[in-house]
Amino acid sequence: MSIPAKLNDVLHEMPGIKVRMMNERRVRVDLSPDTLPALLEILKGRLGYCHLSAISCVDWVQTDQFELVYHVWSHMLKTMVSAHIFISRQPGQFISVYDIHAPAGFFERDIHEMFGVHFEGAPNLNKFILTSWGGPPPMLKSFNTREYVEKTFDWVQYSPDWLKDIEAKGGGID
Amino acid sequence: MSDKLPVIEDQPEICRSVDAGERSVWTRVMNRFADHCRARSLFVLHYCTGCGAIELPPTITSRFDMERVGVSPMVTPRQADILLITGYLSIKTLKRVILSYEQMQSPKYVIGFGSCTINGGMYWNSYATVKRLDQYIPADLFIAGCMPRPEAVQQVLLKLMEDIDAGKANGWQDYYNNYDRYLGNQQALFGESWHTPTDVIAEAKHYGYLADGTMGRHTDLLLKRADYALDRVPEDYPERGKNERRLP
Repeated sequence: MSIPAKLNDVLHEMPGIKVRMMNERRVRVDLSPDTLPALLEILKGRLGYCHLSAISCVDWVQTDQFELVYHVWSHMLKTMVSAHIFISRQPGQFISVYDIHAPAGFFERDIHEMFGVHFEGAPNLNKFILTSWGGPPPMLKSFNTREYVEKTFDWVQYSPDWLKDIEAKGGGID
Repeated sequence: MSDKLPVIEDQPEICRSVDAGERSVWTRVMNRFADHCRARSLFVLHYCTGCGAIELPPTITSRFDMERVGVSPMVTPRQADILLITGYLSIKTLKRVILSYEQMQSPKYVIGFGSCTINGGMYWNSYATVKRLDQYIPADLFIAGCMPRPEAVQQVLLKLMEDIDAGKANGWQDYYNNYDRYLGNQQALFGESWHTPTDVIAEAKHYGYLADGTMGRHTDLLLKRADYALDRVPEDYPERGKNERRLP
C-alpha cells in the first residue's frame, strides 16, 4: 500500500505538509490553512481532483480550534485526499474555496449555519436549513442542547397504573 | 354587512315555530347519524415525515389490507379525513403539517404515530425536533412505540372508528374552541409573525364553534399582521394600515 507516485510528488511540493495513507483509496493530509487553496488548485489542475465530496467541520474545545476537512476525489487516480486544517475558533474565519470548487458554496453555507464559521468570499451565507432559528449555531460544543430543549419544550407527564405498581416495588423507567 | 334578518311585524303565524331545545335534539340525532356513517368511510393522509412511513405499505396492501375496515389512503389533505403523522417532526416540518391540517375539511382527525409524536421519542434532546404534537394541533389518538407494527395501526384505526361513532373524537372542535392556545404554542416556535392562509376564526364561526378560547392575545397578533385579511381588520383598529405589505 503506497501513495501513487504522481500524487506523492505533488503533495510534497507543499511546504510543511504531513501525508498519511489511511487505506489504499484514502490519503490524509495535514497542512497549514494558508496553503490549502493552493493544494486544492494544484490537485485539481494536475491530477484531476475535480470532485469536492464534502467539507466537514469539527469543534475542538480543548485547543480552541475548528478543524476543517476538505475531501476531494480524483476520477483519474481513484484516490481521495482529505485535507485537514485547523483554524482558530476566535474569530472563526477562513477563505472560501468557491472559486476552485463551486459546490463549496453549499458546504460553506451549511458550516456557517451550524458552526458559525465565516467564509470570506462565499457566495451565500444566508440561513439554509434552520429557517426559524434564532439561537447560537447549534453544532457548537458550547451550545447546550439539553438546556435549550428543557427551556423550549415541555413533556407529557406519563404515569400509568402499571408503572405505579412497578415503582412501588422499587423499579421504574428512569 | 349586517347579520340580522329584517324583522317583519304582525306576521300571521303560518308555521309552528321550532323552539331551540327541539332543534338541538334534532341536530344531535342528525349528528349522531352522520358520525355513524362517517366512521365507516375514512380517508387517510399519510404525512410520512419519519421512519414510520415504512410500516404503512404493509398496512395498506394485501398483508393487512386496511381497506377491509373501510379505511383507504388519500393523496391530498383537502379530501382526507385523517391525518396520520408517522414519526418525528422537525420545527420546519411542523409548519407544513399545520398548513396541511388547516386545509382539511372538518370533521378531521389526527393520529400521532410512534413515540416521537408523544414526547420526542429518541429525539427527545434535539433542538430541532418538536416534542409534543398535541400542543400544536389536536391529536385524537396516539400510537406508542418505536416502531408501531401494522397491527397497531389497524388497532388505532378501529379505535378511532369507534370513537367517531360514539361522537368522542372531537379534536377538530377543540382546535376551533381553543385556537388561541394552539396558535400561541405555534407562535412560540415560529415567531410572532407566524400565520397560515387559512382563516380558522372564520371557519370556527361558520361551523358554530366560536368559543371563549377561539380568540385572544395570540389571535390579536394575527389580526395585526395578517395582510391578506385586511378587510377583516376593523376600521378603528389602531394598527390598521401599518403592515400593508401585500403578498406578491
